[in-house]
Amino acid sequence: MGGTGSQLSKELLSEYQELTFLTKQEILLAYKKFAELLLKEERSRILSVRIPKAKILTLPELKANPFQHRICHVFSTSEYQDDSMSFEDFLDMLSVFSDSATPEIKSHYAFRIFDFDDDGALDSHDLEKLVNCLTGEAEGTKLSESEMDQLIQNILEESDIDKDGTINLSEFQHVISRSPDFVSSFKIVL
Amino acid sequence: MSYHYNEGFETDDDEYHHLDTLEIDRSRPSQKFSVLSENPYGSDENYSNVRQRRMDYPEVISMASVQPASARIQHAPEHTALYREPYNGGFSNLGFENENERDFVDKPSFISHSQDRYSDSFSAGGDGNSKGSIRSLSQKQMYHSTLPFNLISTEHDIVMERVNKEEKYALIKKLTAMSNRERNKAIKKLPLVLREKQEIRNTVQLMVKKESKTWATQTGCCADCLKNTTVSFRRFKETLSEIKQALQLWQKTLKVIGGKFGTSILSYFIFLRWLLAFNIFSFIINFSFITIPQFVDLRPNNLSFTGLELLTGSGYFQETVLYYGFYTNSTIRKDDNFAPYNMQLAYIFIIGLYLVICFLILLYSIAKSFRDNFINPVMYSGSATKLLCSWDFNITHEKAVKLAQQHMSTHIKEDLSEKQEKLVLTSCQQTVHFLIHLTVWIVTTGMAVGCCAAVYYLSESRKELLVNATSDIESQRESLLQPAVISLINLIMPFVFSLFELIEKFNSPKHQIYTIIFRNVILKLSIIGVLCQYWFQTIASGTKCWESFIGQDIYRLVVFDFIFCLLGSFVGEFLRRIIGTRCCKTLGKPEFDIARNVLDLIYAQTLAWIGIYFSPLLPLIQIIKLFILFYVKKESLRMNCLPPRKAWRASQMTTVFIFLLFFPSFIGVLVVIGVTVWRRTPSEECGPFQGLNVPFDAISNWIATITGEANLSWVVWIYDNLIKSELFFFLLTLLALIITYLYWQIIQGRKIMIKLLQEQIVNGGKDKMFLLQKLRKLQEMDGFNMSHSSVKQYKASDKMQENAQYSRDTDHHQGAQSGALALAMQARQQASAEEHEQHLEMNSHSALALALKARHQAEVELDDY
Repeated sequence: MGGTGSQLSKELLSEYQELTFLTKQEILLAYKKFAELLLKEERSRILSVRIPKAKILTLPELKANPFQHRICHVFSTSEYQDDSMSFEDFLDMLSVFSDSATPEIKSHYAFRIFDFDDDGALDSHDLEKLVNCLTGEAEGTKLSESEMDQLIQNILEESDIDKDGTINLSEFQHVISRSPDFVSSFKIVL
Repeated sequence: MSYHYNEGFETDDDEYHHLDTLEIDRSRPSQKFSVLSENPYGSDENYSNVRQRRMDYPEVISMASVQPASARIQHAPEHTALYREPYNGGFSNLGFENENERDFVDKPSFISHSQDRYSDSFSAGGDGNSKGSIRSLSQKQMYHSTLPFNLISTEHDIVMERVNKEEKYALIKKLTAMSNRERNKAIKKLPLVLREKQEIRNTVQLMVKKESKTWATQTGCCADCLKNTTVSFRRFKETLSEIKQALQLWQKTLKVIGGKFGTSILSYFIFLRWLLAFNIFSFIINFSFITIPQFVDLRPNNLSFTGLELLTGSGYFQETVLYYGFYTNSTIRKDDNFAPYNMQLAYIFIIGLYLVICFLILLYSIAKSFRDNFINPVMYSGSATKLLCSWDFNITHEKAVKLAQQHMSTHIKEDLSEKQEKLVLTSCQQTVHFLIHLTVWIVTTGMAVGCCAAVYYLSESRKELLVNATSDIESQRESLLQPAVISLINLIMPFVFSLFELIEKFNSPKHQIYTIIFRNVILKLSIIGVLCQYWFQTIASGTKCWESFIGQDIYRLVVFDFIFCLLGSFVGEFLRRIIGTRCCKTLGKPEFDIARNVLDLIYAQTLAWIGIYFSPLLPLIQIIKLFILFYVKKESLRMNCLPPRKAWRASQMTTVFIFLLFFPSFIGVLVVIGVTVWRRTPSEECGPFQGLNVPFDAISNWIATITGEANLSWVVWIYDNLIKSELFFFLLTLLALIITYLYWQIIQGRKIMIKLLQEQIVNGGKDKMFLLQKLRKLQEMDGFNMSHSSVKQYKASDKMQENAQYSRDTDHHQGAQSGALALAMQARQQASAEEHEQHLEMNSHSALALALKARHQAEVELDDY
């Protein structure tokens, strides 16, 4: 049929199960979905092929997500920095967003997704971008400059414990630990 | 040339050879692993190639990798300096590979990643030797320890690199010490790429294997056996969890709902599913342990079935297993082959067991959800928390995303404006507010009391009507009035209550929602309370087979509640949407009122729990009801509703709902059933307990009959000493109180601790800022020289080496001499330069490395010459 091509070997499957938070079904489903994104001739070497970012973003789970580019960027291990994803990157992503991932790992990756300039701390520029993602860039919804300043100031006041003007990972995780809804909302299920 | 190079290494390594021969074995895993890590995407062929090469230099490998920690630190800088050479292209291929090999082996882990890093930082002008690199681990590690401003110089990277390597090594050591399961869990939790996790796991596993090998060979088959058992047990557990997952109802549907409407509405449906699970469990045990035995001893049913019974539950159903009255009090014994089945005991034990299990599950759920959501006292519920973690990644529909963004935006704007305009109310205004609240409370409570009174008098008068009713059908019709009125009250009153929102102005939305929930709960449960009072006072004393009668009443209430729920969906959601979108456009689509819907569910569940004693198969009705309700609500939601506009703290509300389900609802049910079992005389003519004083006598009688039997004496003992003794319960309560007090004290202590720690953090932050400022000043003073001195020096030394090689080609001896000399000087220079930079202590190592390197080169080149 040339459908999904070769199946995952049993060893690999259990290996993935051991190293990720995913169950067997979830891995198989991910495999299927990943294969569907590939061209027919690429399906034979599914484990080595990388899917370009544009194609990954056609997945319904990511299509509308305002953080789609960041997600791709954080989980991609591409050497060319083009945010393309291999199957293992894809599994990594699903593992972090899965139900059984721990809050620590979720908040770690959330932090990296929100850290737009990849410098290891959320500063006011990161926060501004984050808020823009949350409210959307459209005319009616975007915050005015003064509102944005006020908001960022409030955020920093509340969560910047050591008062250095940025939110670092541990401060971020502290904030997250106070909001129990985070674990259930930071979730993408195929 | 390359050969000599090799020799240089071997002599160097010989010094270690004597030290650590015993540990040679241990290094193997890291060899293998490091080779693997070199070619993350490499083909097998490549791998075996490398492996082949490694076999050629076994001594070099094993010895280098087993240095004790102190030697390691000294060694590390050495190859940071050595490493650049491959990119200079001056050496032959073999030399490069060999050196590389050594490099890998020397540090058991992650060298390949650090190489990428180095190649990035050193050869800025594009290094041709691109490794098939996965995103470097060190880059990720940056997140653990970063500078708050962009002082990411090459220098810094190198230091980070070394720190990371040591961290890695420590991590691997730590993992090796863990038990198998713990290790797997810990590895899963590492925030690394799959490939890296795999590497770590392989290293650790191999190390563990080597360590335990000597031991394992001795224990032999026993350990094997144990291992096999654990493996099969793990498999079994996996299969179980898979089955569990497959059994989860509506997985797909829930995902779609979450994708369209977000987590808050999803929580309603998950709550519904949870209740459904309760009822399915209750149905299964009731059916299999109470109903099926009764089927063996079935009485003929002469009543006719008209269809109205489905609504009223009386008539034909009276003589079926649906109600208490149908069950026999005798011991069922089909033939002599089967053991006798005591219906009385089965009935009381199964219902008791179910209630106890429900109690434990509820208690556990409350404790768990309370711990997750409330124990961390929400010190700030401001915008930060809301924002940083408010995005719902479940939402996948484009429209829903737009809507969520819109809500978020208005929410933020409202919040900000509120904060700015937070006026202090004058005392006059405060009084007005207080008076309004008071009036609304009085009015709502009055309405609730009025409703209860109405229900009570209606029930009383119905009794007379029932007595006067001429025919069976007529009395059935009459009986429909009471549940209809009650359901109508339950449907309309919440809407009325929510109208008061327009008058009342609450300070916070949280306050508002809790008030509304509280009022609704008072209304619904006091109606149930009034009904119970009516049942126990009027029905229990004067009606023939009163348990079945109550069962029918509850059946009707459940059915009518269902009908009115559907009606509520139709009127409150469907018609409201038609009006909102066609006639009165400003209204728009209605929002899905989660609180009201959940309270409806809690009310229905309370009824079902009370009914379980009077009508053991009531859970079946409840199952059907919840099942249909799920689809109706889903469709209504899809067609008519919008997600709630206000941010809804789903998990905290879920805790509140579970608590409500527990406290007034379930505890109330326990009281009602407790009163029935211990205080009410069961009806004389029907049911399993006919002829007894109270149903509980069934147990006392049974205990009396088995008191003589030796093998059941423990049951008697438990009954006498635990169940019947007040002392036991007194001690139990005391124990619980003591534990509570202890925990309370611990919490108080921790609160003080947290306060102190927080102050410490703030102080630490201030210190950091101060030091950073100093650092900046220093940097400004020394300018470029200071911060980038070592980079320059590296570059300079690169050039030196090039020169050295160039001159070596032309004039061997001189060139070599000068090259070595230059390097040595370079090293000294750097060492002195780095002495100034105290904040980066680690860099003295790189100076040392340069010095060592210089020595090497001198030696090699002299030999060569």
